[in-house]
Amino acid sequence: MVHSTQCIKSISTIVPILNIEGFINRGKTAVMGLWIQISSGSGEPIYVQVAEQISEAIAKGELAKGDKLPAVRKLAAELVINPNTVARAYSRLERTGLVTSKTGSGTFVSDPKLRRRDAADINVLTERMDNVITRGLNLGLEGRDLIELFKGRLAKFVNKKAERRKND
Amino acid sequence: MTETVLETEGLTKYYGSTLAVDHLDLKIPQGCICGFVGRNGAGKTTAIKLMLGLLRPTAGSSRLLGCDSAALTPAIRQRIGYVTEGHRLFRWMSIAELEKFQRSFFPKQWDDKFFADMIEYFNLPKKRKIKNLSNGERAQVSLALALAPNPELLIMDDPTLGLDAAIRRQFLEGMIELIMRQGRTVLFSSHILGDVERVSDRIVVIDKGVLRANCSLEEFRAAVKKVILSFADSTPAEVDIEGLLHCRRSENELELILIGPADEQIGKWADKNGAEKYHIVKMNLEDQFIEYTAPANHRRLFRWEET
Repeated sequence: MVHSTQCIKSISTIVPILNIEGFINRGKTAVMGLWIQISSGSGEPIYVQVAEQISEAIAKGELAKGDKLPAVRKLAAELVINPNTVARAYSRLERTGLVTSKTGSGTFVSDPKLRRRDAADINVLTERMDNVITRGLNLGLEGRDLIELFKGRLAKFVNKKAERRKND
Repeated sequence: MTETVLETEGLTKYYGSTLAVDHLDLKIPQGCICGFVGRNGAGKTTAIKLMLGLLRPTAGSSRLLGCDSAALTPAIRQRIGYVTEGHRLFRWMSIAELEKFQRSFFPKQWDDKFFADMIEYFNLPKKRKIKNLSNGERAQVSLALALAPNPELLIMDDPTLGLDAAIRRQFLEGMIELIMRQGRTVLFSSHILGDVERVSDRIVVIDKGVLRANCSLEEFRAAVKKVILSFADSTPAEVDIEGLLHCRRSENELELILIGPADEQIGKWADKNGAEKYHIVKMNLEDQFIEYTAPANHRRLFRWEET
């Protein structure tokens, strides 16, 4: 009997963690320690891993403008990584304009309308697309297959954003 | 200016005619978690014992919190925590007795509640004797004993050796928890480079008793690079690229381990020397460490030969 209740208890604590959306409320501090995944044997430095995962969450709308990122020390304790690593990840995001930090109050997701995009950023983007197109065509895919693939991937980001707007 | 909490000058130790630590010049600033890495027998434990004044150096000196290691006063020792390799604790004492014993060395700052909370979290009965604990449980007691006096400088000699992933993580959590407090510094040796990468912001590498690196972890991660260059015919006779540590050749490929040069410099050298293509490999910390401490003529133990 003891075993079965323990089982149920552990399952019920796991489920909400998988339900990422439930943990993030607009305009509130995001609980990111639960979904950022650190791989310490990876070729990618840990600060890059943290920054990339937050970028992706912003692109998917899981984090929206005005959301506050957790305090550096809090996220460091949650992820069990050095606080300087979190600070480095945040400053990387700040350099790309995805977040802004306000002295004394914290780090916030910036307004996409106010993010700067210059020709160089677009160049990087087109280069990466060229790379994907090259690989796709060399695999023997047709142009329209690639477009369908692209649409499918894009939907994963855009639909999530729309869903969130509906919930708010 | 951040304060230096640990400093060695020409620290040297011979065991008979064997040189264990060779003119170690080390400075560790306050407030960092420093991963102390080196291969088995590199001299980590000897260096740590010298720093703590538990061994007499053959030459040189070291200072902890500004005080010479050979003359650490009880007042200074109270500000330093030390976890020995293998978590050697008095086996005949119970956890409660050991706490009382240890507390007497840190009368001013021992945190009873913190210790009790940790022992409860680990689910360890305080009356149990150390000799009746498993290795993991003994390590947990050792972690609680190390953190309860809130040391300004915590030195741990391979604290996670032989521990399971969950208990290892508890040690990492403990280090992060300590470092969040104002002005705390941790130096820990480990062979688990993933752990070192996770919690350290500084790395010290020693090899055969010699200091090979003492820098921020990010610097080390960015500096040690592996590049594979392919050539149409033969590889260039002379490899005169800056920062070359190792060079391995096959028929028309060069594998270089480089310290320091920027990616653009590597690209320029590749173009100048007629490489068809080159690839900068993203290494993890473990691979970087293996390459960095490999002997010059290093070969793989087992090699696949085409027949």
